[in-house]
Amino acid sequence: MSVTTIAGEKAGRLTDRQKEIIQKFAALGSLFALVVIFSLTNNAFLSVGNGMTVALQVTSIALLGIGATCVIITGGIDLSVGSVLALAGVVAALCVKELGLPVWGGMLIGILTGSACGLANGILVTRMRLPPFIATLGMMLIARGVALQLTGARAVSGLGESFGVLGNGALFRVVTIGEDGFPTVVFPGIPYPVVLMVAIALAVSFMLNRSILGRHIYAVGSNVDAARLSGVDVARTVNFTYVLSGTLAGLTGCVLMSRLVTAQPNEGVMYELDAIASAVIGGTSLIGGVGSISGTAIGAFVIGILRNGLNMNGVSAFTQQIIIGLVILLTVWIDQLRNRR
Amino acid sequence: MLDGQIADKRAPGSHQQHPRASEPLLVLDDISKEFPGVRALAGVSFDLRRGEVHAVCGENGAGKSTLMKIISGIYAPNGGRMIYKGAERRFSSTLEAEAAGIAIIHQELNLVPHLSVAENIYLAREPRRGFLVDRRKLRADAKRCLDRLGVDIDPDRMVRGLSVAQSQMVEIAKALSLEAEVLIMDEPTSSLTEQETRLLFDVIHDLKAAGVGIVYISHRLDEMAEIVDRVTVLRDGRHVATSDFAATSIDEIVTRMVGRSLEEKFPERTSKPTVKVILSVRGLARKGVFSDVSFDLRRGEILGFAGLMGAGRTEVARAVFGADPIDAGRIVLEGRELAIASPRDAIAAGIAYLSEDRKAQGLALKMPVDANLTLANLEAVSNVFGLIDFAGHEEVARRYVDLLNVRTPSIKQPVRLLSGGNQQKIIIGKWLFRESRLLLFDEPTRGIDVGAKLAIYRIMDELAAQGIGVILISSELPEILGMTDRVAVFHKGRITGVLETAATDQEEIMRYASGFGRTGQLR
Repeated sequence: MSVTTIAGEKAGRLTDRQKEIIQKFAALGSLFALVVIFSLTNNAFLSVGNGMTVALQVTSIALLGIGATCVIITGGIDLSVGSVLALAGVVAALCVKELGLPVWGGMLIGILTGSACGLANGILVTRMRLPPFIATLGMMLIARGVALQLTGARAVSGLGESFGVLGNGALFRVVTIGEDGFPTVVFPGIPYPVVLMVAIALAVSFMLNRSILGRHIYAVGSNVDAARLSGVDVARTVNFTYVLSGTLAGLTGCVLMSRLVTAQPNEGVMYELDAIASAVIGGTSLIGGVGSISGTAIGAFVIGILRNGLNMNGVSAFTQQIIIGLVILLTVWIDQLRNRR
Repeated sequence: MLDGQIADKRAPGSHQQHPRASEPLLVLDDISKEFPGVRALAGVSFDLRRGEVHAVCGENGAGKSTLMKIISGIYAPNGGRMIYKGAERRFSSTLEAEAAGIAIIHQELNLVPHLSVAENIYLAREPRRGFLVDRRKLRADAKRCLDRLGVDIDPDRMVRGLSVAQSQMVEIAKALSLEAEVLIMDEPTSSLTEQETRLLFDVIHDLKAAGVGIVYISHRLDEMAEIVDRVTVLRDGRHVATSDFAATSIDEIVTRMVGRSLEEKFPERTSKPTVKVILSVRGLARKGVFSDVSFDLRRGEILGFAGLMGAGRTEVARAVFGADPIDAGRIVLEGRELAIASPRDAIAAGIAYLSEDRKAQGLALKMPVDANLTLANLEAVSNVFGLIDFAGHEEVARRYVDLLNVRTPSIKQPVRLLSGGNQQKIIIGKWLFRESRLLLFDEPTRGIDVGAKLAIYRIMDELAAQGIGVILISSELPEILGMTDRVAVFHKGRITGVLETAATDQEEIMRYASGFGRTGQLR
């Protein structure tokens, strides 16, 4: 046999597995470094309260990022989520306000609106064979337009307190009433959106790693022809990822609108780019076949903590954009270096 | 050491050359190249003189293309030196090599389909007038290159619309336009007609007279006599011998290439054909691609599909597998007539297709060995909720890695890091785990080294012996003759004959493949 050496086993060279672990730790390490830097520059940064604020801010990026990750692993892209979340939130609010549906019913319809947009994206991509970039670009414009039409471009308010529970409530909130009669917050609790984010991240991660469907998602992204010739139902698999992305956008929309107790048809502009950025920072390859939910979660936190920490240090919003842009370029460049022979 | 080697090689040949002229134009000294999992070249030395055609021969996977890619700057070697015109050089791109006067005509065509012939010939070297492309000069220069080759192609035509042979001629014209001192030709005649080959040889003679050194790679040993001065044989990434072509017989070259006699190249067949028919195909047709294709595959038999490129062999296999639609015909597998509309249907019926393009169509390259082995049958290692049982999944992977003797450091190794032979074994394992009843092998040994080929052949023989249907599509006639029991020969989308392998030979198969049949004569 002429196959004499197996590369990677030699001294000085790393196996792919080792590289992958190093990459994971590199991302986690930079996250940790950010936390350390910001705690040193600002006393208020490292507190339970601010921690919960960051987690809450991260939820929308992370939820959208989870959907984006699945889509990108198949080799696609979803540009419509920012608009879809606005449409979903508006639909939920209008169902509650105009049709008098209970809050849970309105939100369910809102989320399903997101799923429907995702399904439309999937059909455009798999049946009508449009490039994902174009299909979801069209959906981005259409969903935004419909949201503006439905509301006449005005915010929908007066939704009642119960509409705000999903976005503002918290689990394990501990409040004591002091002797002066004013409440003191002992523990701010874990906001519902954070609970949702963690539960969904775990569920989708489990799906990607353990289920047949997850395996098919990676296989399609790695080599669509090989997957088809191995009997994978490519159209169904790809469709599923767009429906998931749309559904999560719908959910994000409901959470965001609930937090404001107002439905804004202009909410979520450019959120799709944050979602894609979090996936990319987390090591998801835009070529497809590679990516993980844990990576995306780290990516979302990197973006969230950067924003929060820079804000607290009084860095202007414009400078923040520049810094986040540089971070994206840097991480993807490091990734490229890693993939080079 | 280098001098010694060259002196050594010069000794048997009695070239009466002037010392200046015999000073090599290009010398490769002890070149090595490794890819993950494979050593493609191990200490190969090679030299090229001005005005000579130096042929490089070897089987698929011997390292010819890798060597050429190192000369032309596509790959960087892991070890060794390259001396060009007396100075040590190392090119980091084809552009650099071209600037130094080394051009390559690729085996796989490297043209841009949406540009014109002229634009392709002068791509990235367009004649300019200020900031603009001088279109008139571009056209005239391109025309001159094409005229020099004696081919009649309009320089304004889009490359997209050209035939394969025409595209090949454009590639050659492009290389000529570089005025290279070293010209590498990788299988330049594989898609040319006899007449076009003649024209190319005339050009080669002109180039030799002008002092250009030509490295010539071809499988067609017979046509080499006309142009080749020296021949170097590579085997398994090593240099076997360099000698004067005129003083070397074709048999000697073949023996050097194979490194063993032909009997050892193919395993002894243990399976014996029976009369029981496993697969019966009748009147299969797809408009404009193939028509009236009928054949039977018997239990224990290996059936070969032979024919020229584009004769419809792959297309028929893909149609049986449901990857391409059919307009008419019946497919009966083990007594059941199948209605196949997609690969999913075919796989469910027990049919597997092993694509000729492993990397593009056979494997999820970024995924590990175990995930690829189970990809076609994940249900078998999952529970009712569609969740994969990892322990069972890994056990299956280990079983097939052992069974097929796959060389991999672990079952978690991404398959792109395995050698071609081991990749092919993974694909075979995938279909065995799916309990396939019929395996369609399309060029299964392309780009695989000799030892691994033998292993693949043994597996095919064993499958046939176990009663699994095996069809072997191959462009290499020795492989067809060495492995099959019968061979169906394709010509322009039809089967022109089904021959008993034991009673036929290369010439007869070629006759059928050219459409002449039993009584006709070749050419």
